[in-house]
Amino acid sequence: MSAYEYDAVVIGGGVSGIMASLTLASGGFKTALISRGDPVCCLSTGCIDVFSHSDEPLGGIRALLPDHPYSLVGEKGIVDALCFFLEIMDEAGLPYEGDPGRNRKILTPIGSTKNTCLVPQTMAHADMSPGEYLHVISFQGIKDFFPSYITSRHRNSTYSVYDAGVPTTLGIAARFDDASFLDAFITWLRGLEIPHDRVALPAVLGTIDPASVMEKISQAIGRKIFEIPTLPPSIPGLRLFRAMKRVMQKRGIHLYWGKDVTSVERQGRTVEAVTLATTGRAKRVQGRVFVLATGSFVSGGLFAGRESVRESVFDLPVTVPGERKDWFNTDFFSGGHGIERAGVRVDRAFRPVESMIDNLFACGSILAECEIMSLQCGHGLAIATGVAAAKSCAQELS
Amino acid sequence: MTTFEHCVRCTLCVENCPVFKVNPAFPGPKQAGPDAQRFRLDGERSVDDWVKLCCQCQRCQVACPYGVNVSEIILKAQLKYSHEHMSPFTAHLFANTYHLGKLASLVAPVTNAVTSSGAARKVMGVLGLATNLPMPEYRFLTLNRGRRRKGKRRSSRKVVFFHGCYLGFNRPDIGRGIRDLLAGLGCRVVIPKQTCCGLPALGNGDLEIAKKFARKNARVLVDYIDRGYQVVYACTSCGLTLAHDYPEVLELPEGRKIAENTYNVHEVILDLLENDAADVEFGEVNRNIAYHIPCHLKALGIGYPAAGVLEKIPGLKTTVLDDNCCGLAGSYGFKKKNQQTAEKLGVAAASAIKALEPDALISDCGACRMQLGHYTGLPALDPSEIIIASLEKGASKKSKGKRRIP
Ligand SMILES: Cc1cc2nc3c(=O)[nH]c(=O)nc-3n(C[C@H](O)[C@H](O)[C@H](O)COP(=O)(O)OP(=O)(O)OC[C@H]3O[C@@H](n4cnc5c(N)ncnc54)[C@H](O)[C@@H]3O)c2cc1C
Ligand code: SF4
Ligand code: SF4
Repeated sequence: MSAYEYDAVVIGGGVSGIMASLTLASGGFKTALISRGDPVCCLSTGCIDVFSHSDEPLGGIRALLPDHPYSLVGEKGIVDALCFFLEIMDEAGLPYEGDPGRNRKILTPIGSTKNTCLVPQTMAHADMSPGEYLHVISFQGIKDFFPSYITSRHRNSTYSVYDAGVPTTLGIAARFDDASFLDAFITWLRGLEIPHDRVALPAVLGTIDPASVMEKISQAIGRKIFEIPTLPPSIPGLRLFRAMKRVMQKRGIHLYWGKDVTSVERQGRTVEAVTLATTGRAKRVQGRVFVLATGSFVSGGLFAGRESVRESVFDLPVTVPGERKDWFNTDFFSGGHGIERAGVRVDRAFRPVESMIDNLFACGSILAECEIMSLQCGHGLAIATGVAAAKSCAQELS
Repeated sequence: MTTFEHCVRCTLCVENCPVFKVNPAFPGPKQAGPDAQRFRLDGERSVDDWVKLCCQCQRCQVACPYGVNVSEIILKAQLKYSHEHMSPFTAHLFANTYHLGKLASLVAPVTNAVTSSGAARKVMGVLGLATNLPMPEYRFLTLNRGRRRKGKRRSSRKVVFFHGCYLGFNRPDIGRGIRDLLAGLGCRVVIPKQTCCGLPALGNGDLEIAKKFARKNARVLVDYIDRGYQVVYACTSCGLTLAHDYPEVLELPEGRKIAENTYNVHEVILDLLENDAADVEFGEVNRNIAYHIPCHLKALGIGYPAAGVLEKIPGLKTTVLDDNCCGLAGSYGFKKKNQQTAEKLGVAAASAIKALEPDALISDCGACRMQLGHYTGLPALDPSEIIIASLEKGASKKSKGKRRIP
């Protein structure tokens, strides 16, 4: 059974693939998105790093080499894409704040601060001025969140612990979806009579509408409130993914979730269809253009063997910096690992170079030269290149 | 095949587990699946009684980007546990839903009166059954008793309809609607003698009964497949059992063949509309519908074909919701020990639906419809009911009496 023909088929359901499909669907193209599983976005802080390595994101980007994917998109393209993302999040009911031209700070669970660019509303008040007082709320038995890490780094801070009846972030967040639980929590919080300027909690303020939960608490105690992202399972990452998915469904994008693209049908320089390994039997999905957004090593878009790095769907040529011994660095967090530059090299239209395929485009962390870890540009780069690749697709289609 | 050894402990499965979200007694798919699997040894008695708290929605497996067969590992651990421990009466009862259904529908009015009576509900409580949901009603005119063949005999499209227990015993009207719909679109449809797919038996830890049912069905279905028929299902849990469990869990020799020739009814309808250009007209249906995707449709990985058909209906607004498990999960939610879990999940899924302010909800799964119809108070329909309403309207507009479709 051959079924449907789509205008565009996007492979990979991470931030880049989602942004590419939303851009295509907004242009009126019939779009499908295929993904083997949930993306790394669900493990992230939910905050959009555009270029967190430097304080001024666009300045940092201007200094990049011409073959960095950001340089291929260009400053206007990057800013437009980030604004499009902000619109999408408004529509999804999970509003984000921030200015593409400026970085801001969020608080981490170990009490340090971290640069990022766009944040969910629940983290907007994390950018504190020096000297402000902070009260941290923790939960009984919660793993990997120790308020004393934070209070030991902040002079004017204290903490209290609430018993939510469950110790897991997901369990607590699910309880905050329930109005009676929220009321009981607010009553307890009021009783503390916190004199501080701001109140911070781990990111558990509900799975669906955290901004309203935050607003209710904030109104009740008359203090500014913000969330601190936790280690995975990360609720803000999950919220971001689900919110984007809601908009995809609203726009009529067809989702094929949980299964691999296992083979590709080509006719000369054109990809005609891909085959999906569904439960029981393979399924063909036909399209006029294809977008490759399968991520890097973590998601399996790239695979490192003994001798070389392979791209796993189309077997595209992959750029690798030098020999295997040059891929590594003994210090994990030092940045500048050679392997970070490995990936699929694309031209200005985001077509993989030397691929011998005319209707294929690539975006996101699978691209060569991104250096996501050292530049700290994960979701930002995914958004910018996802939108840019989709625009080239749209041109090809019309 | 990917196994527990491929787990990188990313916790994406955990984020997606409905039971873990609301029941602190369940450690979640990562621990219940790949983590615990390292310690489960053949010949050693299982001690992980919490493994039975998993409702087998398979959301964990769908979410895992590394292809780990998380829920299958858990299912096998559940079967091992049940095999080693005497299972309670309720498990046997639900393992045999088919025989129960057959009996109940023969004396349908009596069954319905008894299961809804106060005294019966008290007895059910003692037996470990939860009582806050109305028990499904049984129909006397089951699908087995209606017309078994329909559509042009010479049609190049031949399908054999696996309707399963719920459409067979409880909603034969929907089953007949689907039969006529397929025939109206140009298919030759056969409803063969069939028995339960076997899923309720698997869900209640009874591998032997599941195998017995499966072997019976396999003989019938393979015979049709060999004669050029495609197997179609409407209930997505039956579909997943045929496509996944027959070859992978029950290890039937014919399992692969059945899996490769089994289709969702809406995949077939879409194909008839797109590629065979079936000559029909969709009439306007001015409704706002929430489409609750059953977990097992998601697990099939074929996308949401009914949504593709519904898109063609003028005036219809359909919103797809696929992040919630309804909580009933077949017989899972009818058990007392799962009642709270089922209720919490039901309420959460219902509030996501109500937020859209729809006038009805649809779902491909009878259990989802029962549960969510109850918690939303909305009419809960099968997608085919909307499609049929639209086609009937289209047909009467097209030409009065010239051709009744379907
Ligand atoms: C733990 C962690 C935390 C992070 N935190 C942050 C953060 O807080 N802020 C930030 O800005 N960035 C963060 N990053 C970086 C950022 O998440 C990524 O760089 C970015 O989201 C990548 O998006 P992507 O779309 O390129 O790919 P991915 O998100 O990797 O998505 C690729 C998708 O493709 C699918 N796929 C792969 N192969 C196939 C196939 N053959 N067939 C079908 N589907 C396939 C995968 O299942 C996956 O869903 C973090 C990264 C990690 C690993
Ligand atoms: S999603 Fe897969 S890899 Fe990740 S923890 Fe679960 S089973 Fe392991
Ligand atoms: S099958 Fe469903 S209930 Fe069971 S562990 Fe997986 S996600 Fe949780």
